[in-house]
Amino acid sequence: MDTDSTHVRLSAIGIVAVSLFLALFMRLWFLQGIDRQAFEAASVSNRVRVIHEEGPRGRILDRNGKILVDSETSIVVSLDREPLRKMEQPERNAVFVSLADTLQQLGVPTKLSLIEKRYADLRYAPQEYVPIADDVDPSVEIYLMERADRYPGIIVERKAIRSYPYGNLAAHLLGYVGEINEKELVERGGQLPGSGSASTTSTTTTRPATTQPTSPADSSSGATTTTLANGAGGASGGRLTDYRLGDSIGKGGVERSYEADLRAVPGERTIEVNAKGDLVDVLSLESPVVGDDIWLTIDIDLQAHAERLLAAKIQDLRGRRDKENNRLNAPQGSVVIEDPQNGQILAMASYPDYDPSVTVNGISQEQWEAFNDPNSGLPLVNWALQGTYAPGSTFKLYTALAGYKSGYLRNGTEVINDPGVYTIENCQGEKCEVRNAGSTPHGTVNMATALTVSSDVYFYKLADKFWNLTDQYGETPIQDAAAQFGLGAKTGVPLSGENPGRLPTPANRKAAFEARPDLFMTGDWRSGDNINTSIGQGDVLATPLQLVNSYATFANGGTRYQPQIVTKVTRPSDLTLPANDPANYTLIRQVEPVVQGTIQIQPDQYAKIYDGLLGVTQSAFGTASASWQASKTAWPMAGKTGTAQVSKKADTSLFAAWGPAGTGEPARYAISVVIPESGFGGEVAAPLAFRIMAPLSFGTLLPACPSADQSECAAAAEAASAASGNDVTSGSAD
Amino acid sequence: MQSIGVDRRRISGFRGRDVSSGWKHVDIVLLVATGLVLLFGLVMVYSATRRFPGGAGILLRQGLFVVVGIAAMFGVSLIDYRRIADWWQIIYGVAMLVLAGVLSPLGSLGAFGTKGWYAFGPVVFQPVEIAKLATVLAVASYLGSVDRVDLRRLGTALVLLGVPMALTMLQPDLGSALVFIVVGLGMLVVGGVRVRHLSILVILGVVAVFGILQSSALDQYQKDRLTAFANPDGVSAKARYNIDQAQTAISSGGLTGYGLGKGPSTRLGYVPAQQTDFIFTVAGEEFGFVGSGLLLILFAIMIWRIWRAAQLAADSMGTLLCIGVMSMFLFHIFENVGMNLGIMPVTGIPLPLVSQGGSAVVASCIALGLVQSVHMHRYA
Repeated sequence: MDTDSTHVRLSAIGIVAVSLFLALFMRLWFLQGIDRQAFEAASVSNRVRVIHEEGPRGRILDRNGKILVDSETSIVVSLDREPLRKMEQPERNAVFVSLADTLQQLGVPTKLSLIEKRYADLRYAPQEYVPIADDVDPSVEIYLMERADRYPGIIVERKAIRSYPYGNLAAHLLGYVGEINEKELVERGGQLPGSGSASTTSTTTTRPATTQPTSPADSSSGATTTTLANGAGGASGGRLTDYRLGDSIGKGGVERSYEADLRAVPGERTIEVNAKGDLVDVLSLESPVVGDDIWLTIDIDLQAHAERLLAAKIQDLRGRRDKENNRLNAPQGSVVIEDPQNGQILAMASYPDYDPSVTVNGISQEQWEAFNDPNSGLPLVNWALQGTYAPGSTFKLYTALAGYKSGYLRNGTEVINDPGVYTIENCQGEKCEVRNAGSTPHGTVNMATALTVSSDVYFYKLADKFWNLTDQYGETPIQDAAAQFGLGAKTGVPLSGENPGRLPTPANRKAAFEARPDLFMTGDWRSGDNINTSIGQGDVLATPLQLVNSYATFANGGTRYQPQIVTKVTRPSDLTLPANDPANYTLIRQVEPVVQGTIQIQPDQYAKIYDGLLGVTQSAFGTASASWQASKTAWPMAGKTGTAQVSKKADTSLFAAWGPAGTGEPARYAISVVIPESGFGGEVAAPLAFRIMAPLSFGTLLPACPSADQSECAAAAEAASAASGNDVTSGSAD
Repeated sequence: MQSIGVDRRRISGFRGRDVSSGWKHVDIVLLVATGLVLLFGLVMVYSATRRFPGGAGILLRQGLFVVVGIAAMFGVSLIDYRRIADWWQIIYGVAMLVLAGVLSPLGSLGAFGTKGWYAFGPVVFQPVEIAKLATVLAVASYLGSVDRVDLRRLGTALVLLGVPMALTMLQPDLGSALVFIVVGLGMLVVGGVRVRHLSILVILGVVAVFGILQSSALDQYQKDRLTAFANPDGVSAKARYNIDQAQTAISSGGLTGYGLGKGPSTRLGYVPAQQTDFIFTVAGEEFGFVGSGLLLILFAIMIWRIWRAAQLAADSMGTLLCIGVMSMFLFHIFENVGMNLGIMPVTGIPLPLVSQGGSAVVASCIALGLVQSVHMHRYA
């Protein structure tokens, strides 16, 4: 062997060795010296989880501090996807299959497909826990925790959910809570991690520790935009807009409009986990702050009473037929009771109702479809403010005001003869005669008697005169008066979905026709339109809430309040202590009444209308006198029945009233009752109103029963049901 | 026997010729470097295993193996390597039989259904570690006894290398099979194989590697692991995870590291196989560039001293023995640290003297004992 050659070859090997070590050193320096920061972030994201904790929402109480919506703890099974991502597909699938099987055996109906879908759901940030089963039994938690090694990446957490001690009561008003959707998240400036990468190294976990103060709450709910002083607002301050996907948010009712108060300030837990995803250390802990309590204006006892009687009445009506043999379908109904002195809503019943507890863990697809099936009666709709109806004769209050305000009527003693039929002046064509209900002649009537007996002819004539003398009274004296009572516009009650109703005018009819000539027969406004409007027919639509608020406005002498739902917001000191004891909370803010307008009217003119409406129940000729006699209230009530005709359907029965009336004391309660497809106002709505008002006026209202103890309520409901049958045959024509 | 180590030094040697005391010529630098690396390794194993329930036991066992290894190293170094080489056929034969034996029902199943171990109660023995040594010894003895490496001798040497390689491929243990290629290449280069023959061999080797990767001889996971470093997106989540975590751990160590027992990836177990194949990540994360660089320097010193022993060897057999051991170490170090750093494919190659595992530590110590023997007996 050649020595020189060996030497050369040894040297070559030496050079190779040196180069290899140089390569290692260079790579080592690159990783540790140059590229360090990128990898350091990856190291943090590996092991640090920032867990966003929502905390319990504030409670919703009635005006006396009874808890209507409470928070309780729910156990949630979630996925920690970091350790799962490290597994090979078959291994991970095996975990999922085993988990789905186990959950199903333990009585949790979680499908494998759901787990897989949630695992792949890019809308959640990679480091976030993704819930797969809500509200599981504690035994499930124990089972999974004991076998943690068999279920890597499966986390069991506790979270606060809603509970409803009074079951269905006031469900529409309270609303419900659900998982925030992407639209709501974006509206609140929340983070939408949809574009987030699923890679294990490129994700960031830490987020700025600073918290942003809230912007004024939910401006999307329409009604609340004008009501910040009264309704939901940023007054509480310090609330977070820090929403994440998977967070809860109020979806309707008070839960939605007072979201900013009710929501807990979210907490944040930073934990360190090992490769298996097990908790090793808590690095920082910022506990959530419980949300504030909301005190409603609602009296739950009255609410229960109203709901019970409304339901019994509707159930009794269904299947009956009216005198024209129209079926009384009574698909829905509502009762609203308001305090005329401040606009506070004391009860707001809408039928049909629903069980809010089905929303607690998210509304299932089946449930959602059932809720929105027209055959179900649309139980999620709050008909009291979302339903619009022709107000019929209840509208005459506004027409009466128009008569005085316009100057056409001087003092209300003007009389006309009501033969039951009115012939429109200067009329050409076929429909020149308009009639009272049943063409009943009322003889000589003035303003008061016209209201008491519900003479249509009196108001027809008024409306006809107005239209013939537009140069003197303008085109819309009736609509202007109705608008002063709040018709045709949202009342501004801080609840979402309120319908403004409709107040037709020559101008808006023309505009509508010009916009869509194909939809309307004409854009012209004629005498007949004025006449129809004067008695709340034609195109007029009002909500039960507008109706009660307008009568409350008249009852208090002309001050129109914005309907108020919440009296105050408080911060509880201890959730286990009685909620209604002032020692257990601090007042965050008091909600003051909001005056939206006042109606100026001369006292003698006011008295004429007042007398007419009082006569409705107190005069022998009053359209609601028989039903008032049947269930008298402690003091007289004044009001107006309405029987609105709807083509091809039974009449809508309406009644709006207040009491005490005529006794010199201030009015304490205003009420509206509206049931479509149910018959005469004097026979259906008015008796129901009096039966609701009677125990209230006598102070003999039974306390509402929580769901846990229904025995008393069941007995009361039975009694209500038995009594409801008596009304249909009583009362007089409207 | 005509020596190839020849050389000036031996002729002009001014050192004493007192062969009775081999200790005089022991390579102290190599010995110290070996000792430091072994110590470093124990610390790393401690850090990587202390979170396990039986962590202390693992460390104790590793310590025992280190002691056994050091004893074996001294024992082997005292024996003249030429006396050992006299037995090469028998040693090689037994090693091959034992290596083949793991494929029989006697062998134990390992990860991914590979067979590479014997389990005697609590003691697990990996015969490939011994087979590597036996092969180095055989090739060195066979080629060291001749002047010229003709085609016939080259063929025989290739058979000596090919048998253990084929057996490890059958396990399959791709990484170890590669060791035989690299060791063979190193020894053939230094052993005097003609450049022409060598070139043909290299070309054949390259063709073979591509052929293996293209054929169905490898399972997908093996191909994935081999190609992961070049094709990061095309690999399975698990392989990718392993590579990512190793680099993350090393890189986050920075210049000086988190300190012993404080590295988050190590502490929380984010790097799989951290006490064995990925033990370099412990050094990287907890001791940073300073610590892991020091480990690399110690390795570099060892390689240098082995290379030096090859140069100083009394005969070509000694030279080849040292080159074989050097190639083996160099490949192990480069491949293992390289895969930890993400520049080499992931194969199951331990880091010599550091990775937890008795067979590897003892075999490495014996290999270094052979080198010491060549160094100590160079005047004999």
